[in-house]
Amino acid sequence: MLKNNMRKFVAQRLLQLIPLLIGISLISFFVMHLAPGDPTALFIDPNVKPEELARVRANWGLDQPIYIQYFKWLINAGKLDFGVSYITGQPVISEIGERLPATLLLMISSMILTFLIAVPIGVYSAVKKGSWFDNFFTVFSFAGMAIPAFWLALMLMLLFSVQLGWLPAVGMFSPLIKDASIVTRLLDLLRHMILPLFSMALLSLAGISRYQRAAMLEVLNQDFIKVARAKGLPEITVIFKHALRNALIPIVTILGLSLPDLFGGAFVIETVFAWPGMGRLGVQSIFQRNYPDIMGIVMLSAVLIILGNLLADIGYALVDPRIRYEKISKK
Amino acid sequence: MASRKFWNFLICSLILISSAQAFDYDPEGKLVFSLGGEVSVLNPILSTDTSSGAVEGVIFTGMTKINEKLEVIPDLAKSWEVSKDGKIWTFHLRKDVKWHDQYPFTAEDVIFTFNAILNPKVNSVRRSDFIIDGDPVKFRKIDNFTVQAMLPKPFAPFLVHSGIGILPKHLLEGKDINTVDFNRKPIGTGPFKFSEWRTGDFVKVVRNMGYYDGSPLLAEIIYRIIPDENATLVALEAGEIDTAGIPAKDYSRVKKLKGINVYEYDQLLYVYLGLNLEKPAFKDKRVRQALAYATNKNQLVSLILKGLGTPAYAPSAPVSWAYSDDVPKYSYDPEKAKHLLKKAGYEDLEFTCLVNQGNKEREKAAIILKQQFKKIGVKMNIRVLEWSALLKIINKPSAPKDFDAVIIGWSLGLDPDAYSIWHSSQYPKGFNFIKYNNPEADKLLESGRTTIDRDARKKIYAKLWNIIASDQPYVFLWYPKSVVGVRDRVGGLSKPGPAGLFVNIEKVFVKK
Repeated sequence: MLKNNMRKFVAQRLLQLIPLLIGISLISFFVMHLAPGDPTALFIDPNVKPEELARVRANWGLDQPIYIQYFKWLINAGKLDFGVSYITGQPVISEIGERLPATLLLMISSMILTFLIAVPIGVYSAVKKGSWFDNFFTVFSFAGMAIPAFWLALMLMLLFSVQLGWLPAVGMFSPLIKDASIVTRLLDLLRHMILPLFSMALLSLAGISRYQRAAMLEVLNQDFIKVARAKGLPEITVIFKHALRNALIPIVTILGLSLPDLFGGAFVIETVFAWPGMGRLGVQSIFQRNYPDIMGIVMLSAVLIILGNLLADIGYALVDPRIRYEKISKK
Repeated sequence: MASRKFWNFLICSLILISSAQAFDYDPEGKLVFSLGGEVSVLNPILSTDTSSGAVEGVIFTGMTKINEKLEVIPDLAKSWEVSKDGKIWTFHLRKDVKWHDQYPFTAEDVIFTFNAILNPKVNSVRRSDFIIDGDPVKFRKIDNFTVQAMLPKPFAPFLVHSGIGILPKHLLEGKDINTVDFNRKPIGTGPFKFSEWRTGDFVKVVRNMGYYDGSPLLAEIIYRIIPDENATLVALEAGEIDTAGIPAKDYSRVKKLKGINVYEYDQLLYVYLGLNLEKPAFKDKRVRQALAYATNKNQLVSLILKGLGTPAYAPSAPVSWAYSDDVPKYSYDPEKAKHLLKKAGYEDLEFTCLVNQGNKEREKAAIILKQQFKKIGVKMNIRVLEWSALLKIINKPSAPKDFDAVIIGWSLGLDPDAYSIWHSSQYPKGFNFIKYNNPEADKLLESGRTTIDRDARKKIYAKLWNIIASDQPYVFLWYPKSVVGVRDRVGGLSKPGPAGLFVNIEKVFVKK
């Protein structure tokens, strides 16, 4: 019964995806074309004649009315053909496909690392509210939120790459390693990952541990915790079995909402550490007015945001005994 | 086994002896360049960005190339002649050239490449270079190693344009050049062969032992993509890259670093304040001259470039063979400026200057100019726009264009032809976006590009620069110097100059 309802809920939400995505694509397409400039602006060079730029624009179909451009795009997108990048001549799907693994690797590991550190800090700070540990991490969190990402990244590079020489400063792989074994390559990748990974974790640690602390404090003040304590349950059981399970709900929401980040990457960190990820591709596509790439990225992020929310909703049902999707069909 | 070692030893010592360098060079040497922008497409007729151009420069070669003095010299073509009327160019190709896949290079490849550029379906903006007054240049094969280009009329810049990288017909014929896989794993005739491309991370090329001008000394070149300027410097200091451009603000610090040599050289580039001559105030030559008198160029160079540049007075660059110093300079004189404004009746002039966001030097220039103009009672407002948005305004294909003034720069081609920038026909479509119109200048621009003899052209351009400078449609600001840091393990650099330090890449080496 329960499983059935859940399935229905998920199916319904997935069906909603289609009109939603069409709506998103329509708005993004028109807004994107509203921005001044066009992709041939990149070719500015006194030797290039305006009629040549017009020819290239026509080759790309940009001379047609915008609604026709949109319908053409929509029909192709329906067939999962997102077109060809103006800049590289490669299919948008493969452009994204080339960047996605680097981004996912960095973002997922940084998210795991962040949660692994932030949740225990948040819980412990809440339990020991007002202790030196709590105070230290309060200050630390505000510092973490205030530090600009590029500054932290450069400082870490200066320390670990220039001064100590322990870790590589830029890139994802060392181009000088030749015919290395898989293990050497993996270790090389790991060495390149450490600095961007820790920069990102340090920056997002603050927010998440604060959320966790607040959620935990709220739960700890509730009546059922008092009851549990009054029953004489050991403190460990109270905190981990009764309190934490409830205090994890807001964190699941954040996790769900940050799924698009996993895909979108982190522009600043990717730029400073020269990490070949999605963030750089996205920002560059916008500056270049590389319409096919922009649309491809927007659509994939839209799908991920919607799926992320759905996963968060399912996650609630799993962690929170009060939430069940039984009456969803009548909603 | 032992005998192979001996042979290796013998070959290495032979190379060492023959190269006769002052240093022992490492035959396994790998050089790491840094690129600020992503490499987009490795096809010389399609790419428009400097990063792709840098990599293509070692993979592909053209019929001609340039040397350290920016002179056109033979490359795939061992010689050429021009007919008396300047319309027929005959190129004699080398017979000893092989593509990286060992296929022989012939005239067919040359004809194929130029036809591909001229094909309207191919998204190559280089087509402009081979269309003269609406008519295309025709290419034909005389024999397997001779090609002829027939121009509709004499056109001096043609020789420079003929240096574009040649593509292999046997791999591209019948394919869609815009999207072909070749653009990601190219085959060329150059000193280095393509090896690996990790998107957004690096591109690697390896030595082409069969290169027709002799095997390069470097075993590999790696082009590392590092978008951030500060991170590039950190990577240079950490020894992860061998060379990087040094921003003016970091110049004195990097100069003191051990293990890094810093080179400065002039470029074919100038930065200017362009005045829209459609605006009534700027129609008046006296107002334009007043702004020139009010501009303290030495102050701009010392504050913005920390002295790494020189004041500009003409629409050419001192490193160009067509440069001439014989121009009116309007040196800094605020009193004279005030006087001119008064005479013109524009004492309370106010205008808005566009500048592109993200270019720190030009943003600073706008702020300093605002102060300098304030001293003569002129109010200059600054409007910072994103690059595409700025181009949209000044490149609007119809008149009138909606701007007063703009701070921007021109990167000059190897040929001094400036027709597209100054000729009156290049407005409103074209790059004469400020509407400069001087019949005398038009005539010189026309004869400059149709005259083939270099000395005659030199005279034409000297006259032209003088006329434009006296009209002062742009307030010329400065010539920036290029500053490059190179790790001292790298040798075989060319003499620092506008062509860069790596003109003869096959002679560059890494010390042992």
